[in-house]
Amino acid sequence: MVLENTLPVLLSRMDFAWITSMHILWTPLTIGMSWLLFFMEVAWLRTGDERWYKLNRFFEKILIINFGAGVATGVTMEMAFGILYGPFSQAVGPFFGNILGFETITAFMYEAGFIGLMVFGWGKISKGMHLFATFNVGLSSSLSAMWILVANSWMQTPNGIVLKDGLFQVTNWWHAIFNDNFVWGFPHMWVATVELALFVFASVSAWFILKNRNADLFTKLLKPTLLALLIVTPVQIWLGDSVGRDVAMTQPTSLAAMEGHYHTYLPDGKVNTGWHLIAFPNAQNDGNVFAITIPHVLSLLETHTLNGKVTGMDQFPANDRPDVWVPFYSFRVMVAIGFFLFFVALWGNWLRLRGKLNAESLRKNPWFLRAVVFSGFLPYLAIWCGWWTREIGRQPWVVFNLMRTYQGVSHMTLGQEVFWFVGYIIFELTVWSGAWYFFSRVIAKGVDNIPHSDTLFTHHDEESGHDEEKAGGGFAKPTFASKPMLDKSR
Amino acid sequence: MFFQDVTRIVGALSTWWWLILCLMFLLYIALDGADLGAGIFALFSPDEEERGAIMASMAGFWDGNETWLVVAGGILFGAFPSVYGSAFNYLLIPLAFALWGIISRAIAFEFHVHAIGSKRFWGWMFAFGSVLAPFGAGVALGGALQGFPMAHHIAAEGVAGAHANAFDAVPHFAGGPFTFLSPFSIWTGFGAVIAASLAGGLYLCARFVPGDVIHERAKKWTNAFSMIALAAIVITLIWSYAIFPWAAAKWTGANWWVWLIWILVILGFAYKSMTAHAASRDFVALLWGEGVVALMWFAMWATMFPYIVPHTWGIQEASNPADSLAVFTLFMTGFVPIMILYNWYQIWVFRGRYTKKAMYAGH
Ligand code: HDD
Ligand code: HEM
Ligand code: HEM
Repeated sequence: MVLENTLPVLLSRMDFAWITSMHILWTPLTIGMSWLLFFMEVAWLRTGDERWYKLNRFFEKILIINFGAGVATGVTMEMAFGILYGPFSQAVGPFFGNILGFETITAFMYEAGFIGLMVFGWGKISKGMHLFATFNVGLSSSLSAMWILVANSWMQTPNGIVLKDGLFQVTNWWHAIFNDNFVWGFPHMWVATVELALFVFASVSAWFILKNRNADLFTKLLKPTLLALLIVTPVQIWLGDSVGRDVAMTQPTSLAAMEGHYHTYLPDGKVNTGWHLIAFPNAQNDGNVFAITIPHVLSLLETHTLNGKVTGMDQFPANDRPDVWVPFYSFRVMVAIGFFLFFVALWGNWLRLRGKLNAESLRKNPWFLRAVVFSGFLPYLAIWCGWWTREIGRQPWVVFNLMRTYQGVSHMTLGQEVFWFVGYIIFELTVWSGAWYFFSRVIAKGVDNIPHSDTLFTHHDEESGHDEEKAGGGFAKPTFASKPMLDKSR
Repeated sequence: MFFQDVTRIVGALSTWWWLILCLMFLLYIALDGADLGAGIFALFSPDEEERGAIMASMAGFWDGNETWLVVAGGILFGAFPSVYGSAFNYLLIPLAFALWGIISRAIAFEFHVHAIGSKRFWGWMFAFGSVLAPFGAGVALGGALQGFPMAHHIAAEGVAGAHANAFDAVPHFAGGPFTFLSPFSIWTGFGAVIAASLAGGLYLCARFVPGDVIHERAKKWTNAFSMIALAAIVITLIWSYAIFPWAAAKWTGANWWVWLIWILVILGFAYKSMTAHAASRDFVALLWGEGVVALMWFAMWATMFPYIVPHTWGIQEASNPADSLAVFTLFMTGFVPIMILYNWYQIWVFRGRYTKKAMYAGH
């Protein structure tokens, strides 16, 4: 492992890790939030309650900024396999390439075909058509996550293929698509997107209630959001545990790294069942210098028995072992976040049971609101950590047990790799800071200037002279409107 | 017998995907080319209001237009992974620039509306991105036309203890970072910018109400760029003839008259576009103009046949194994017309002419 990780290989890994990590910052929110907006729109259409419309239009502004960032970073991703992992792309073409082809055709294009209608179509298409567009954005973005997860899970558990003539040729499409890791990995990823979107809703709502702006409106949103979270957060923990057990079976090296589990047996010959809360792996990567260990927990987690055997690092040759630091700690952070978010959901619903989930009582004890605002950021971190665990745990393989990462790396000079890395650090950070800055501006502006939904289909004269509420409102009409040129209020 | 059949099937299916690939790239060039060109036009806009209006005029569909590139990339990976994995490796530098251009544009679209103090910055990001993207893509195209060196036993280089491995059966890109760079590929970069500028001018003429400031300027812009583009086409053809024996052999080979007719048809389309433009039938002019692009594009692909990358990857040797191609064909071909349909619907919803003021205010 260490030998293979020459600087060029390491750098090309960093090149790829950086752009994927920055892409995954955006896409989960699009996926989760488009479904939530769909349900809000249904609520508005069924009840005629204007408040749902307002909230919908408000969060949609966040969605579209987020979407732009997702596209900006995603287009690179589509090309990046060929650029940074050329030999890998060639070898995995028959399956992985096909799947990405499926994805672009059935998901990316599908989504791009409807997002414009959803965001800019208000008032230009009928309400029914608009709802249909929103639904399609939800479905297409979820499909996109599904195909990507098919591709990536297959790298973890490459089922249904043989290696022939330098290519991974498919022998069984069904097994390759529904590979072991996908079965739990995709639900876990998808629920993560919903959990993230719900927490973003909750977090923004809590912020408004804290600031006492539109507090009643946002309390109305907070209630169903917390209720949904009461279901989603434990489900996510359960799914995570299932993924973990699958990894234990299919990728023992990865699991051993996640758990810092070096010794299958204790010196006295008994099965090592200890779970480390904290561990410092040593430099040779064959043991821990220091660890806080709780017996039996590891076996309980991975085998659901008290003394089940969990394969440790010592069962594998040194050069097949992944690095431990990152998987170990990022896994723990993810799990901690998972439980914390569950706790927040419990807390909120407990307040509700005691009748305290209204703006006034909430503000009297702002700690709950503060915790919720903070929780909006945690799913992002959990998602990062989950992916780092997964991708670094798979090392030194790019296709587990079949293709080494160094075998998949493109033919690049160090200069090219640095060029790419530096360029993308600049661009991705611009995207990131820009998007988060404009999120904060949309939130700071609030919901008050969103016009009544009545205005959607009756074209007002433009004299009313405000612009922001029409962002994407489809108010532009082919006339010479006599309106101040540049509205300075923007 | 059996193997012969399989070979024939692979031949037919891979040619089929080669055609679809050609169509997807064409859709990208035709649709996003106009958007990019409008962005180049915005580089010379006097104020943020105008840049804002130009951006707003494509707010509803720029993403769809751009995604044709992603689809083309996906099809390349799905049907011809060997090309995807080697050509993109070869074209790292120009593609990186094109992608940075695309990133700048994509975020400028969403941020410009919300910005106050930084409006200018995002306006420039949009305009510069619109130049960078076609330039990088044009250089990449020129580079691809030149072909590139490949070798076995490349992947494991630089790794201590590396051994010949199973993946060497496929040839990998073997050149250096600047192998793509040549006067010709730089020229095709400029060529792409010129072509996009013309398409953008035609688009803006069709998009804004006659008499509007943007329309007026776009008109002059289009007149100028149709001349420049014509000259660029002639230069490119002569240059290609001189340096690419495979092109020369086709153009002046036994079927020379086909190419001659083709050129005459192209000239006819260009003439139609220019007269329609002069008569202010702007949308018609745009369509004829796109027709020129399509005809040129088809001619280029026909010249390269049976190669995807001239003298580097043939269609058949680069394609996936028969089984993968068959699955790809069965499950994906049907979606191609559907994709085109809903994209067309989206563009149709946002049709109509605008003015600078209304567009800006309305966005
Ligand atoms: C909101 C986000 C979130 C939360 C709260 C959790 N996870 Fe997670 N986890 C993800 C988001 C995520 C993810 C980013 O979506 C990953 C990465 C790839 C994947 O399929 O899901 C993931 C991967 C992932 C893996 C796979 C690692 C691999 O494949 O090598 C395991 C074992 C777990 N998770 C386990 C858990 C457990 C036990 C959790 C709770 C106690 C938990 N996750 C909470
Ligand atoms: C979007 C969420 C993702 C994140 C945050 C992520 C993160 C990472 C990280 C951290 C690495 C570097 C691992 C290392 O070198 O130690 C990596 C490598 C890689 N990932 Fe992912 N990844 C993501 C999704 C994907 C998906 C969906 C795929 C495939 C479809 C993929 C394919 C790869 C490949 C090919 C590499 C390079 C080879 C390697 O280093 O293993 N990744 N990714
Ligand atoms: C777990 C990992 C990933 C998930 C869940 C995911 C999901 C999504 C979603 C939902 C979008 C829509 C835009 C947005 O949400 O902002 C998107 C955009 C995009 N993603 Fe990812 N993606 C992942 C990783 C990747 C990878 C590895 C690639 C490379 C093939 C990729 C390529 C793209 C492209 C090209 C776009 C732009 C599509 C457009 O124009 O609409 N993504 N992704």
